[in-house]
Amino acid sequence: MPRAVKGLLIECDPSIKSMILKYDEERRDYIVEDLDDENHLVIKESQLENLKMRLDKDLDEKIMQLDESESE
Amino acid sequence: MAAPTSRPLEYLEGLPGGIFLQLYKQPSTALAIFRRMLPDLAKCFVMALLYLKDPLPTADLEIWVKAESKKQRDNALSILGRLHILSTTRTENNARAYMVTNPFASSLRQALTGSEDTQSFGVFSQVPDQSTITVSDLDEYARRQWEGVLGYMVGTSALSGRDSVNLSKGVRQLLQAGNLVDIRDRRVEITKDGFGFVLQDVNTQVWHIMILYVESAQSLGMDSVEVLSFLFLLSSLELGQSYEKKHLSSTQLQTLANLADFGIVYQETPEATRFYPTRLATTLTSDSSALGNPTSGSLSGPESGGASSGFIIIETNYRLYAYTSSPLQISLISLFTNLKYRFPNLITGKITRQSVRRAIEMGITAEQIISYLMSHAHPQLRKHNAAHSTSNTIQPSVLPPTVTDQIRLWQLERDRVRATAGFLFKDFNTSAEYDAPCRYAAEIGVLVWKSNRKRMFFVSRHEQVAAFLRDRAVGK
Repeated sequence: MPRAVKGLLIECDPSIKSMILKYDEERRDYIVEDLDDENHLVIKESQLENLKMRLDKDLDEKIMQLDESESE
Repeated sequence: MAAPTSRPLEYLEGLPGGIFLQLYKQPSTALAIFRRMLPDLAKCFVMALLYLKDPLPTADLEIWVKAESKKQRDNALSILGRLHILSTTRTENNARAYMVTNPFASSLRQALTGSEDTQSFGVFSQVPDQSTITVSDLDEYARRQWEGVLGYMVGTSALSGRDSVNLSKGVRQLLQAGNLVDIRDRRVEITKDGFGFVLQDVNTQVWHIMILYVESAQSLGMDSVEVLSFLFLLSSLELGQSYEKKHLSSTQLQTLANLADFGIVYQETPEATRFYPTRLATTLTSDSSALGNPTSGSLSGPESGGASSGFIIIETNYRLYAYTSSPLQISLISLFTNLKYRFPNLITGKITRQSVRRAIEMGITAEQIISYLMSHAHPQLRKHNAAHSTSNTIQPSVLPPTVTDQIRLWQLERDRVRATAGFLFKDFNTSAEYDAPCRYAAEIGVLVWKSNRKRMFFVSRHEQVAAFLRDRAVGK
């Protein structure tokens, strides 16, 4: 019997997707359905802001070094 | 040219029809709307219809326009309709026909031919002023007041100290009511809307403020229609001339006093018998104001007076040089630039990923930054660009493309994930069971994603798809 599940379809780079998967491993509180393709998955609607903040923070830490070495 | 600012147009369109009837009684309003709000084609239509005795059948009007320009024609007609300038009636043979509505038609005719001695376009002061006020005095006044308003929002007045402008309570309340600033513990904090506002060109800013003003007029005990038509009156006055105040109503006098705070009009003292419109007023409804306008030029720095007096140079290595000493411009630039050195007439800095992201987090968009840089680009940048652009390039950019592209990319970086709310349909037993609703979802345009292999699909709205599935289940 077909079912409908409410959620947010996320479209992102494979690298971002793997980060989200990693976050989810901790407490299983992000993902509704992993869609098994490179750049899509469905997450809980309430977690979007939280997820964005976490991604921004982690990515900033990773990319910042590159940015600083570039300047001046 | 088509109206560059759509905000006044949008605002006007939202007004109820009755207000238009009142507004159009003033010839100055009719002329201002005609000049400023209408695309060229619409102006043509109005002029052609203005002196016709009988309504013109729609078919006749439609053959004026070539078939391939149907879109422009429809757009022009729809704007005219929304502004209540054109109405459709029937001719004697019962064909649909257009006519220019009254009182717009009679007012515009009056404005064009100058009949009667209405005070719709203001009354010149006959007696010469004891202290002569020149156009440059007015520009200086307008610049100081307007920069004062912007400086108040950005919080530079505390920094600069010198010639800080005393803003009246009304101005501050208006900015707060318009959600451009937020006052917390007596400290002024600029809002996201405010950031967007300060980066716009002056003309758009003035309109934004004026619309806020008209909207709040009611609560100040004034008739908003009267205020609005007074604004249109001001916009049609002549720069450098003084006008009598004794013909104005009490509402208009109050408006005048409030507008003086913004630098839109100038009067020596509130009790003076005459007032001068400044460039901020006279460019409200003229076309001479879009990019590189005299006001933004004169606002960009005290000593720069030329028409296209940009002062920002950007190199392809993201370094920025701004020839300005204006505290306002410096703090605007510092919103999205890492400033490094400051000299008496020059600041230098660099646009970096962090500085742009900081700006974006505050609610400024990449497009706003680029358009700010573009409209204040140094003539040297423009010259350089003109020399290098060949005729076949598609609209050459004044700024180095690497920089503009990168600013956009930095904004995109913040949106690493694209989220669509909706519903995932899954657990279909057979591919036939899956195919039909999936195709149906695609047909009604709600399908966002699908995987034939996993027999899943994602839709932005589920009601119709669910109903479709139910119907099929019942049908079985």
